[in-house]
Amino acid sequence: MRTVLAFRTILPTFTYHRPSSLAELLELKAKLGKDAAILAGGTDLLVDMKMGVKRPPHVIDIKSIKELHVLEYKEGSGLIIGPTVTLRELETNSLLKEKYPVLWDAVRKIADVALRERATLAGNIANASPAADSAPALLVYDAKVELTSVNGSRLVPLREFFTGVKKTVMKENEVITKIMVPEPPAGAKGEYFKAVRSAEDLALVGIAALVANPNNPAERVVRLAYASVAPTPVYVKEVEELFKKDEPLNKLIKEAVNIMLSKVSPISDVRATREYRLHLVKYVTAYLLRKLLGVK
Amino acid sequence: MKAYKYVGKPIPRQDVSKVFGDAIYAYDVKLPGMLYAKLVGSTYAHARIKRIDYSKALKVPGVIKVFTGEDFPFKVGIYAADRDVLARGKVLYYGHPVAGVVAETPEAAEEAAELIEVEYEPLEPVLTIEDALRPDAPLIHEHMEEYRHASFIYPRPGTNIANYLKLRKGNVKKGFEEADVVVEGEYREPLISHAYMENWVGIARVLSDGTVEIWSSHQSPFAVRHLLAASLGLPIGKVVVHHTFIGGGFGGKAGLLLEHIPVLFSMKLGGRPVRLELNREENFLFMAQRAGYLFKMKTGATKDGKLIAHYGEYYLDAGAYADYTVNIGRSVGFVPTGPYEVPNIHVDSITVYTNKVPTTAFRGFGMQEMHFAFEQQIEQLAEKLGMDPLEFRLKNAIVPGKSYLPTQVRVREDAGDPAGTMKRAAELISWGKKPEKPGEPWKFRGIGIASFWKGPVQPPNAASSAIVKVNEDGSVDVLVGTGEMGQGTIYALAQIVAEELGIPVEKVRVAPIRSTDSVAYTWQTVGSRGLFSEGQALMRALDDLKNQMKEIAARVFNVFKDEIEIKDGKACVKGKPWECISLAEMALGYTLPNGNAIHGPLIGRGSHVPSQTTYLDPETGRGEPKPFMTFGTSAVEVEVDLLNMRVRVLKAVTVLDTPVINPGLALGQAYGGAVMGISIALNEELKLTKDGRLLNPNFTDYKVARAGDIPVEMVAEFLGVGQKNAPYGAKGVGELTMIAWPAAIANAIYNAIGVRIKKLPITPDNLLEAIKEQRPELLKELDKYLLGGE
Ligand SMILES: Cc1cc2nc3c(=O)[nH]c(=O)nc-3n(C[C@H](O)[C@H](O)[C@H](O)COP(=O)(O)OP(=O)(O)OC[C@H]3O[C@@H](n4cnc5c(N)ncnc54)[C@H](O)[C@@H]3O)c2cc1C
Repeated sequence: MRTVLAFRTILPTFTYHRPSSLAELLELKAKLGKDAAILAGGTDLLVDMKMGVKRPPHVIDIKSIKELHVLEYKEGSGLIIGPTVTLRELETNSLLKEKYPVLWDAVRKIADVALRERATLAGNIANASPAADSAPALLVYDAKVELTSVNGSRLVPLREFFTGVKKTVMKENEVITKIMVPEPPAGAKGEYFKAVRSAEDLALVGIAALVANPNNPAERVVRLAYASVAPTPVYVKEVEELFKKDEPLNKLIKEAVNIMLSKVSPISDVRATREYRLHLVKYVTAYLLRKLLGVK
Repeated sequence: MKAYKYVGKPIPRQDVSKVFGDAIYAYDVKLPGMLYAKLVGSTYAHARIKRIDYSKALKVPGVIKVFTGEDFPFKVGIYAADRDVLARGKVLYYGHPVAGVVAETPEAAEEAAELIEVEYEPLEPVLTIEDALRPDAPLIHEHMEEYRHASFIYPRPGTNIANYLKLRKGNVKKGFEEADVVVEGEYREPLISHAYMENWVGIARVLSDGTVEIWSSHQSPFAVRHLLAASLGLPIGKVVVHHTFIGGGFGGKAGLLLEHIPVLFSMKLGGRPVRLELNREENFLFMAQRAGYLFKMKTGATKDGKLIAHYGEYYLDAGAYADYTVNIGRSVGFVPTGPYEVPNIHVDSITVYTNKVPTTAFRGFGMQEMHFAFEQQIEQLAEKLGMDPLEFRLKNAIVPGKSYLPTQVRVREDAGDPAGTMKRAAELISWGKKPEKPGEPWKFRGIGIASFWKGPVQPPNAASSAIVKVNEDGSVDVLVGTGEMGQGTIYALAQIVAEELGIPVEKVRVAPIRSTDSVAYTWQTVGSRGLFSEGQALMRALDDLKNQMKEIAARVFNVFKDEIEIKDGKACVKGKPWECISLAEMALGYTLPNGNAIHGPLIGRGSHVPSQTTYLDPETGRGEPKPFMTFGTSAVEVEVDLLNMRVRVLKAVTVLDTPVINPGLALGQAYGGAVMGISIALNEELKLTKDGRLLNPNFTDYKVARAGDIPVEMVAEFLGVGQKNAPYGAKGVGELTMIAWPAAIANAIYNAIGVRIKKLPITPDNLLEAIKEQRPELLKELDKYLLGGE
């Protein structure tokens, strides 16, 4: 363990790779494993490297791989987002705004324009911070992550992707090659609530809420997901099931809030106290549900 | 204000080099053969240093030397001179520099820095004011009695008290006996950071003749020179300090910063240039920040609404070094109350050491902190008296010429217009009118007001001077020592020159980049004193210059000197505007038709020193502390949102009594001051772990207001009530614009939801806590609205 504080101004040395094809990237990753970090926008990676949290001997920049720069929507099957698509590209995409309002809302609330010009959605997910703003939004859309290695690809539901603070199911030789967001339930609307300390901030608590067919219990869809309330982004299946019941919405909202309070485990840290985070979970959840379900 | 041609006009600053990128900052200075220094900090808040092993660091190619505290066995500083160059024997706070690496490249220095190993013997850290004052508290400075300190500082060796100031006016005991209502309160404010944009950097070298040169990011070039010379025992004439543009200071770059480190390293390395450049994390830990505060106040008033007595125990949490903060302890001690006459005062202001990051001057010099507490005492007294808080303020406001300062001297007749600022600010915020009710039932609006005063806190003999030179084309160069850090004092001074000589302002140059060996002296660029002090010196320099112009013209036109007037850059015979000599014609002296020349180059000089300020009596504080006080009142309308517990400032109003030389620059200060003050009120705090580690040495978690946090509406006005000896009546404004916001916001929150905020910052966490303590029923209501109640 170091016995002095030494803060770097200059990044430590590393070998820089810039593959131009996916095949080349997978080969490199197979060879270098955890010694190589993927560089997309670099807005997490370079900060971690400067602060000494990460010291990868190799850095693989994926921005020159043309085949990874995909942003496609197909009626019925949904949205495909490649790992070099920036948050700014998503934010300025009118289709995203119309079809995936919760994701769009979350993306535009990340940092500021300058940062969103560089940062990617895949980076936000791969970094696996409990505060990642896009995670709750992707969770309510039941997004899937395509992980690829020299051995092939597999599709992992985002709801199974995160395993801890900055930990995921990704293997050393794998990279994210796609994020797939299914077609949302018909008529779904929603928003991302982000509690902050100043105009641009990391989420003290983030809440994604998606609602479809509020007045028809059989068809009703209500999904909630949270950032910064537990070691990983939190999605709670029970809430969705609860709202299938044909009971007064007021009562369901109260029950949903209680379920949520039992599922989160926020901590007190430099950004907010546990008490304040619980206050937000309780009241903002209720506020969003009332608003989206049209309860007066 | 009288109509002038240049003074009082919002003339854009002449120098636009920042816009075009050709402004030079200390950062830009690179010298041939320059070495790079890097400091490493301690990982403990309080520990003995048992061993420092830098053998591995020395093996890194390019590393020249590693220094430790033992290489520099002396202290540096200004008022308390308690600072080690590098930690000696003990580390006193988390991040305390324990060693410095010097290398041929910054990469080598950084690599080597990480290889330094220190063995510590941990000691109990002292992390609160209360702990520092415990009789059995560990001593942070074990040999305080040996420290060199200013004569007006009263440290208590054998304790953790760095300065103890007493203020006694009237008879408080009697005062409280006469009081009908009494309010007691405890107010806490955390350590915060200046958060200036430009991290500190310094580049030093020693020339072969022994001259020490330094380029650095500082506010006050002459203070750096003086303190370098005094601390290192250098002849002052051999120290040259170069002042460049600086990217913000806010007090955090007053006095001596870390200049001594590259200077000492260079001295030990044969004079080779050494550069020490801090990054953001280092700047949070190696540079001094703003002290934390605890105010215990008890204030009484009579039932007819007169303030009668004030008792206070004020504590400053100065961190590991109180070098500059001891003087802030004085500042809040001898101006312990707001701009009101209080006949009986008893205040002890105690600056204590703790094992936290060192602290220093900060815009407002304790006045923002003190007013946060006192202006809430005022509101609570008014409430107890059943009186409108504005009316209560007006009833007690300082009356120039009549009232007496807390330090017992009479307030000068032309001191300003405190009551005028209160009335105008109240008008601008629609005082007495209930703010609109927002749509959502969990949002509340309120308005709040806070008055304030402040003048520079300086030694009584703080001097300044100015030189005015005329060039061959009739343009003028002004040499003054005041620093340029964005506030623009030098541009306002240029306007005064233009006005006095009647020349276009474009013909006046006050170079932003200067050196101590080629400009006129001033004590420091602090305390909103620049325009007032340099301005007076400059007015005298201009008188001197005009007198010389008159002498030349009188000889040429064969008239008496008093028959000459200065107009439009010329010296003319009164009543004969065709008999004139222009500045250009006499710049280098005047040449007669036969070739004889007279007088030689025109050069005016002027000096200023406040002639009426005094030392203060050590037992009572009696004396005249300040050459001027600027008075003002700020008011806000806020919206409190109980859903996310955030406070938003909708409207911010500030009114100062003084006239201003350049309303554009003054408004820049006012808007900037408002945003800074609001940011401090709502966001800013240096957060420590239980064992004293700083958790947020970065802008991710040291939250400063962003563009989106600026109030919807900001209004600033200057009443134009001047002080006679000030240049064009203008007193200082820079700090004044940021003082009242925490107090005004706290008062507005009380107005909105009936919760008194006695702890800063007013973050969602702290607001929630205060609501739970004081008005839990507000949360019950929220429950009802959103969850249908129990
Ligand atoms: C000033 C600032 C403000 C910020 N504000 C926010 C905010 O408000 N909300 C928020 O959620 N985040 C915020 N962040 C964090 C960061 O910007 C986001 O997480 C961003 O989306 C990361 O994307 P990137 O492309 O820059 O990732 P990178 O830094 O390039 O990568 C992040 C991590 O993911 C890995 N990675 C990247 N791409 C892949 C891939 N295809 N396959 C496998 N691994 C991969 C990298 O190796 C690295 O470990 C902020 C960061 C900064 C510096």
